[in-house]
Amino acid sequence: MRRYLITRLAQSLLTVWFTVTAVFVLLRLAPGDPAVNYAPPNPTSAQLDAVRAQFGLDQPMAQQYLTFLGHLLRGDIGESFQFRRPALDVVLDRLPYTITLAMAAIVVTALISVPLGVWMARRADTAKELGVNIGTIAGQSMPDFWIGFVLLIIFAVNLGWFPPSGFTSGASIVLPCLTIVVLQIALISRLVRREMTVNLAAPYIGVARARGVSERRLTWGYAFGNSAIPVVTALGTRFAAMLNGVVIVEVVFRWPGVGELVVDALKRRDFPLIQATVLVTVVLALIVQLLVDLLYPLMDPRVRLGQEARR
Amino acid sequence: MAEAAITAGPGGAFSRRALLQFAGLLGAGSVLGPALAACAGPQTAAGTGKTLTIVLNRNLVSLDNKLNQYDAAVTVQRAVRQALTAIGSDLRPHLVLAESFEATSPTSWRVKLRDDICYSDKSPVTVEDVETAIRLYFQVQAGYVASQFPEQPAFAKVDDRSFTLTTTKPLVTLDSLMSNILITPAAANKAEELREGLGTGPFTVASADSGTGTYKLVRNDNYWGEKALLDEVSISYQEEEGARLIAITSGAADVIDTITPESAASLKKNADIDLIQGPGTRLIHLFYNFRKPAGHPLANPKVREALTYAVDHDSLISSLMNGLVSSAEGVVPKTLAGFAATGKYTFDPAKAKQMLVAEGVSGLNLTVIWEDSEFAGAARVMEALVTMLGDVGVTLTLTQIPKGGEINSWRRGEAGDWDILGNGYGNQTGLALTNLVGQYGGTAEKEKTRDTYHGFVVPEVTALLDQAAAEADGTKRDALLTQAQQKIWALWPAMWAWTPDNVLAKRKRVAALDLSAANSYELSKVQISG
Amino acid sequence: MNDLAIPARVLRGSAAARRARYSTIKMWVGGVCAGIVVLPVVFARVLPLPDPVRGALRETSLPPLSAGHLLGTDPNGRDLLSRILHGGQTSLLIGVLAIIVSGLIGVLAGAAAGYFGGWVDAAVSRLQEAQMSLPLLLMLLLVVALFGSSVPIITLVIAVAQWPEPARLTRALVLVEREKPYVAAARVLGLRRVEILARHIIPNVLSQVLVVVLLLLAQAVLLESALSFLGAGVQRPYPTWGGIIADGRELFVTGEWWLVTLPGAAIALLVLGVNLFGDGLRDRVRRAKAVQA
Repeated sequence: MRRYLITRLAQSLLTVWFTVTAVFVLLRLAPGDPAVNYAPPNPTSAQLDAVRAQFGLDQPMAQQYLTFLGHLLRGDIGESFQFRRPALDVVLDRLPYTITLAMAAIVVTALISVPLGVWMARRADTAKELGVNIGTIAGQSMPDFWIGFVLLIIFAVNLGWFPPSGFTSGASIVLPCLTIVVLQIALISRLVRREMTVNLAAPYIGVARARGVSERRLTWGYAFGNSAIPVVTALGTRFAAMLNGVVIVEVVFRWPGVGELVVDALKRRDFPLIQATVLVTVVLALIVQLLVDLLYPLMDPRVRLGQEARR
Repeated sequence: MAEAAITAGPGGAFSRRALLQFAGLLGAGSVLGPALAACAGPQTAAGTGKTLTIVLNRNLVSLDNKLNQYDAAVTVQRAVRQALTAIGSDLRPHLVLAESFEATSPTSWRVKLRDDICYSDKSPVTVEDVETAIRLYFQVQAGYVASQFPEQPAFAKVDDRSFTLTTTKPLVTLDSLMSNILITPAAANKAEELREGLGTGPFTVASADSGTGTYKLVRNDNYWGEKALLDEVSISYQEEEGARLIAITSGAADVIDTITPESAASLKKNADIDLIQGPGTRLIHLFYNFRKPAGHPLANPKVREALTYAVDHDSLISSLMNGLVSSAEGVVPKTLAGFAATGKYTFDPAKAKQMLVAEGVSGLNLTVIWEDSEFAGAARVMEALVTMLGDVGVTLTLTQIPKGGEINSWRRGEAGDWDILGNGYGNQTGLALTNLVGQYGGTAEKEKTRDTYHGFVVPEVTALLDQAAAEADGTKRDALLTQAQQKIWALWPAMWAWTPDNVLAKRKRVAALDLSAANSYELSKVQISG
Repeated sequence: MNDLAIPARVLRGSAAARRARYSTIKMWVGGVCAGIVVLPVVFARVLPLPDPVRGALRETSLPPLSAGHLLGTDPNGRDLLSRILHGGQTSLLIGVLAIIVSGLIGVLAGAAAGYFGGWVDAAVSRLQEAQMSLPLLLMLLLVVALFGSSVPIITLVIAVAQWPEPARLTRALVLVEREKPYVAAARVLGLRRVEILARHIIPNVLSQVLVVVLLLLAQAVLLESALSFLGAGVQRPYPTWGGIIADGRELFVTGEWWLVTLPGAAIALLVLGVNLFGDGLRDRVRRAKAVQA
């Protein structure tokens, strides 16, 4: 177990290093000039040089990289160009919003798609199930920003039920959350259906049924218990993906999360802020992945971490 | 996941059911999570009657303008901090903290502070505060305000309420320029943007979050002048125009400023909302590249003129700009002090074709560049130009430069060759001279570092502008400026130029909002009814 | 059929037959949905449509069902139907090229990983994992910002984003396939390993992989529109679906709903069609494989 953890952590560190380095290089190679965004309009070359010197962008790239790594090891990513305060603080201020949105979305997804998937498994291969199946696929087929706009127009502009954008009250979360959920339902409910179909057809269900166990317990207690692992894994993976994947939804609804922040930062070439965002989301995604993996053996007694399968 | 494997061994310490129950708890926790977070998050105090909610189109990163200043920010920044003077709605300087601001010679000014002014904590305003403010504005790297001054004026204290400002070269517009230097107690002022802190303005800062760009101002009950009518002002921002539109129609916002023609057209139909519209000071033009070699068609003023006749600006204005811009009648916006009407753009494709033929130009292929969202509906205007220029036999290649600062290397001619640039040029002083010097005052010296406005170097024009800048007599100065503007117009520097109106939308309950040509208004005078 | 002991009616009602019928229904519905979009797009140049790039400003922002403009016009007075169909050509081209590239990379990498194992497998798997923990959309945006947003760049970016999926499946299938007797036989006959892989194993697993690759087309079209939406679209004034939506989004709230809704509907219909068709096909291929086995 310990060895497993150490290997995992080492791998994670490698991923983090690789990511921040890739982003570092990409940012410096990309066209565009941060200085222009932080100098007066119609700047002179002297003004631009002054801004570059201020941000340390006048140094050779290798030098900048070493400085960056040195500071990173001390937990310092630098000061955001636009906010003039530590970039990490700016990101951490926004992080609760992204986590709240991702949490809400994953919980609602689970609450809808697990019962739906179970229902589909029990009604497998009926006309009704086919209809529901096509419906969930349709949800998955729409571009997320498009769903966002349509929901926005119907529920915020025309009906006025929910706040249109930003974060003004608890109800603000409904529309962005719904947009994400529509896309995720198909993925999770189909997985639940697949797992449940296999488990419901397993011999032990027949035995239990013969012993007079109620259908309800058969479904939820027996079959679902055995389907839980892949479902929880998938939910965890989706959650990790959402932490950096809700960018578009955040942009559409101006949800003040990390995604919205980074799209802005990218336009302004706010290097430290982009680095901080990438670092935070990657670390978070890795932590969630690790937690999911650690939960594995707790849920399934047959699983032990760090051991190859016995052949 | 790769390391997890199925083994036949006995299980861990927890039962699976216990785990599922735990997972259920977690789920419940995260459902409550959003509700809990909602209490801790930034709130807008909607419906408290005397609170004005403003949604800007850009993040107001600070309540200070040392580094950056854009139109709407002025409104908010001036509500907290004030300067010696302010640009009035006539675009001329008016006295604020200064009791008098007089030129004693072309290079020196004598300023006296009012004796009734104080900060919101009742502490007095001293001449040292002014001295420190000037010094710090020039000390910040690449500050926006400092870049507006040709040089830093030297400060000399005369007595407790008066001081002199001296420059080496005549700086006849110093009283206008000083409207940008906001006064803060010397001890609290720093050579960086101030996020909070003390000012002399009619409002004080109750809370500020530069990260999310949300600010809450409350009335300064110790204000030295006429007290503000609002209790509270809440400021946030949305870069997405559509989101601001929804905010004002749904009542989440009371005022949105600098709105696009499309939004204005749709808001016009809304009975709950008033539009305030006035001529602006921002010039947008399709500027020719003046770095073309001598043989290039664009180096020929006749060709530059011919192309202007191909632009059907009336259609552009009515179809793509909803009539909310005015076509330029000179080389700077006509709202600016010192503007001279030098001519009008006309649409005459036949004349365009004929002139191009006369100049022996055919099959012309031009590259147009502009930065994404440089002005409202930029991409649509450019795409319409493809059709219009196509009608006179000129092919346009469109290159939209994404945001991020890449446009600068294009403008300097380093990223690639181009022929026409779509560019906006703001003005914060109300003076035509500022625009003229910035765009047409190029010298060979500046061109060495590519610091001219796209290669526009005409020594004759530069000389006239230098003369005007040093001329203390207003009438003579305007005459010199007129002469310069006529010479510039005759060179046809732009294919078309226009000035968007300042358009602000407010809900009907907001009253006494007086939008100036500089696109700002006095928050202290604004009222809320009902 | 009628000679069988089981009546045809009962046979039709059996689960297996129902499944077969439903996968056929899915394929049909999917095929029709995709066809409604794909056919007009493919024949856009032949159809009597107004120019997608040149418009008349006096016909600005006409709503759908206006005379001469079935789906209305944009603010520049350009016919929306024509723009959607011509834009679809670019979007579909990007999508198809992207899945060809990602399919090729995925199949080759996955097959090599599955067949050779060892360090090849380790390298491919690590690469996949690393990519999965990256903030993908952000990286794509960065790359597009870096190299510009031409058709080849966007295609490559999407392909790189997508290769892990076919690679994973190919690897899993090859792992099973390489243990089969015919592979051993081929080896005994003295065929080289690369030859066995290329001539015998890959053709055997290809049908299942191709279904997944087809499903990736749906993802590719969505990804292209997302990239355009976030402001990394292709050369103006030539339209793409994502580009039309991105241009129309500020007008969406001001009442010109058609500029966003209709191209979005085209994307949704195509993606739904591809998803359903691929889904039905996957069921069928799986069954065919099961019968073979």
